[in-house]
Amino acid sequence: MIVEFGHFALITAFILSFAQGVLPLAGASRGNIALMMVAPAAAISVALAVTLSFLALVWSFVTSDFSLALVANHSHSTKPLIYKISGTWGNHEGSLLLWILILAVYGGVMAFGSRAMPMALKARILAVQGLVSTGFLAFSLFTSNPFLRLSSAPLDGKGLNPILQDPGLAIHPPMLYLGYVGLSMAFAFAVAALITGDVDRMWAKWMRPWVMAAWCALTCGIALGSWWAYYELGWGGWWFWDPVENASLMPWLAATALIHSSIVVEKRGQLKSWTVLLAIMAFSLSLVGTFIVRSGLLTSVHSFASDPARGVFVLVILLFAVGIPLSLYAWRGPQLITTADFTLTSREGALIANNMLLVVATAIVLLGTFYPLALELITGARITVGPPYFNATFNPVMALLVTVMTIGPVMAWRRGNTARLKPVIICAACGAILSCLAVLSIGSGFGIGPMVALSLIGWLGIGISADIWLQLKPSKSSSLISRAKRIPRDVIGMWVAHLGIVVFMIGAVGDNLLNSEQVVRAKPGDVIKIANRSVTFSGVKQVQGPNYQALAAQLEYRDEQGRLFAVLTPEKRIYNAERQTTNEAAIRPTLLGDDYAVLGDGDAKIGYTLRLYYKPLISWIWGGAVLMALGGLIAAFGRRRVTKSQPTNAVTAGPLSSASKVGTR
Amino acid sequence: MSQLRISFLLPLLAFSILALIGAVALYSTLSGSRDPTQLPSVLVDKPAPPTNLSKLVQNNSPVQSSVTLASFRGKPLLVNFFASWCSPCRAEAPALEMLSKRISILGIAYKDRNDDTLQFLKQFGNPFQAIGVDQDGRTGIEWGVYGVPETYLVSADGVVILRHAGPLTRSIIDNTIIPALETLGS
Repeated sequence: MIVEFGHFALITAFILSFAQGVLPLAGASRGNIALMMVAPAAAISVALAVTLSFLALVWSFVTSDFSLALVANHSHSTKPLIYKISGTWGNHEGSLLLWILILAVYGGVMAFGSRAMPMALKARILAVQGLVSTGFLAFSLFTSNPFLRLSSAPLDGKGLNPILQDPGLAIHPPMLYLGYVGLSMAFAFAVAALITGDVDRMWAKWMRPWVMAAWCALTCGIALGSWWAYYELGWGGWWFWDPVENASLMPWLAATALIHSSIVVEKRGQLKSWTVLLAIMAFSLSLVGTFIVRSGLLTSVHSFASDPARGVFVLVILLFAVGIPLSLYAWRGPQLITTADFTLTSREGALIANNMLLVVATAIVLLGTFYPLALELITGARITVGPPYFNATFNPVMALLVTVMTIGPVMAWRRGNTARLKPVIICAACGAILSCLAVLSIGSGFGIGPMVALSLIGWLGIGISADIWLQLKPSKSSSLISRAKRIPRDVIGMWVAHLGIVVFMIGAVGDNLLNSEQVVRAKPGDVIKIANRSVTFSGVKQVQGPNYQALAAQLEYRDEQGRLFAVLTPEKRIYNAERQTTNEAAIRPTLLGDDYAVLGDGDAKIGYTLRLYYKPLISWIWGGAVLMALGGLIAAFGRRRVTKSQPTNAVTAGPLSSASKVGTR
Repeated sequence: MSQLRISFLLPLLAFSILALIGAVALYSTLSGSRDPTQLPSVLVDKPAPPTNLSKLVQNNSPVQSSVTLASFRGKPLLVNFFASWCSPCRAEAPALEMLSKRISILGIAYKDRNDDTLQFLKQFGNPFQAIGVDQDGRTGIEWGVYGVPETYLVSADGVVILRHAGPLTRSIIDNTIIPALETLGS
């Protein structure tokens, strides 16, 4: 009964979201208030209907209702509760419903809030959201219905892919979707702007919190995915330049460009058409990502629910959702052109450089992901594009970006020069040279790439620190605290996020340069040496888990003095229901570095294969990502108070007349 | 101004190209002419590389004999690259056992120690007509082995008919190997 109710709620949501998409658009173009008012009401109803439908599906997973085809195929009665719940989105149909849920909830929140926004703009934005929802609800109902019943229910389910039974993966998809789908809000803002051909500074101000929230979620989602790959796949790697990873990186890069360019629209009323294009691009790229993952066109370690037949539907959605806005852009875009009123060496110039570099980086990833597919279709040759390509192309662009990142924030709008500019550049340059020298004194033989990366860590880290100090430095008239209070929250957010990049780089470079690895076949009692620690393999044990049996190796880690400091127990699990084995790496994460151990094949007679790693600083990679997201949150939600109390701050200052100068016909 | 208008068309143009690639790839995947999960071999429909390996000998017999691909000419042959250190190879052992009733199988022990290989055969059975030792992996390179286990079907006149990377499963044998064998008239 609950299942049928969920199905019915989903159909209701489909019809309502179609109304949400069509009526307000008509209303906004004719000035009909009644039709425009449909938008918020419909958006809230759709959000409620989809929530009920999703809860019905979660309920059938929790109660193991095997009369439902989806539950029978993807769940099992002995699974722990958390994986029964996360099993709801551990498959194509359920994860699509989760996607729709997040889309609908974004629409509902927008309908509730944003009271200051002009009614026509709000109606158009919600209408675009509604149209996107309609497409995905149709996708769910017509090709991937999660509520299909089986004529005869099996006694037990087939289970969830054991590799997906993991706490990290329980929250990774919701986080990632929160980011992907959040970009649909920016997309809706852009399409609404293109329909009217009108973009003003308030438009950017209203859009920014949505983009920032989506960007934070996307940052966390990507970091979680990378962390999952690190500990679950058992290769010790954290980024593989795999198509699915690239699919999440491209919207992130575009969204990063968007949060920077929207600052220029908001503060200076410039870069309008470009920002609109970026907003469309960011969401389009997340749709492209969905297309790649769901159609299974490209092989990947991350895709578990792919089917080319579904790809057709996603492609159709993609054609409408991207083709129409880009056509609108070709028509309306030229109206949004403004005359540049700044020199190249200014804050605007630095932000343009940021945007150019990020778009080039996006193009590099796009090319690396699609080139093999295009080549195969033309010549039939099957190639893979891997880390060598990305290291040679992506990394230099990022290096340039980091170079600009130190200078841009200390430049003034329009003309560029500030009192802070020179000291910050001098400090940053010293930082770069010092970090280079420090490393050379430890050892030589590092390649040019790592050396550049190290000096950039010094350049950015010291540069930001110098900027922070110069802005906080107590002077005669004001103390450190009173100066700190006057700093706008978005500047604090920027500092935190940019320092997150420094932390991330330290992790990535540390792992790349200093990581050590041992692969041995060992018998109980053997001692393995790795990175100034000795590891005693004291044998294996049988372990009985809730829905698996495991073989666990006991590894005693001792330091140079022979003191025992950790026991790691990597496991090899056999999942009964799914008849699959997985390797559970044992990891001891510390700030200085991770001990990482994997149990391979073997038996008591010939010994067991053990793969041991020591990965210095690797946890900083995810620490950096958390800082970036935190910085984003500070910038997104701490802004209003500051702009109210400080209307003529140095950052917000700019000739207000530039807003009226722009051509809006 | 007209030049400017064209630049606003560029995103649409770029997207159209991308969508076209996606559509063609999707079409060829759906029509069955393309399987993204399979790595096709450049060897398919070409003569198998001449292979001459020292034979895996048991009980430390002093006789040094070799095994060549040429000696299997005249009837279809399955060539299976395996190693004692690879767990999928263990998983496919029953499948090979079953296939060995229909076709002769040449095993190539890839980058493995002889003792380990013998131990592996004792434990999981020996479905092979003969076993060649490819300790340095050179033969693997000539065949373009991607990773063990890997299986090639070679026709009676020494042409590679198909290649499968990864363990053989029931469905792969039933849907791919057996039909290919039948077209060879075996």
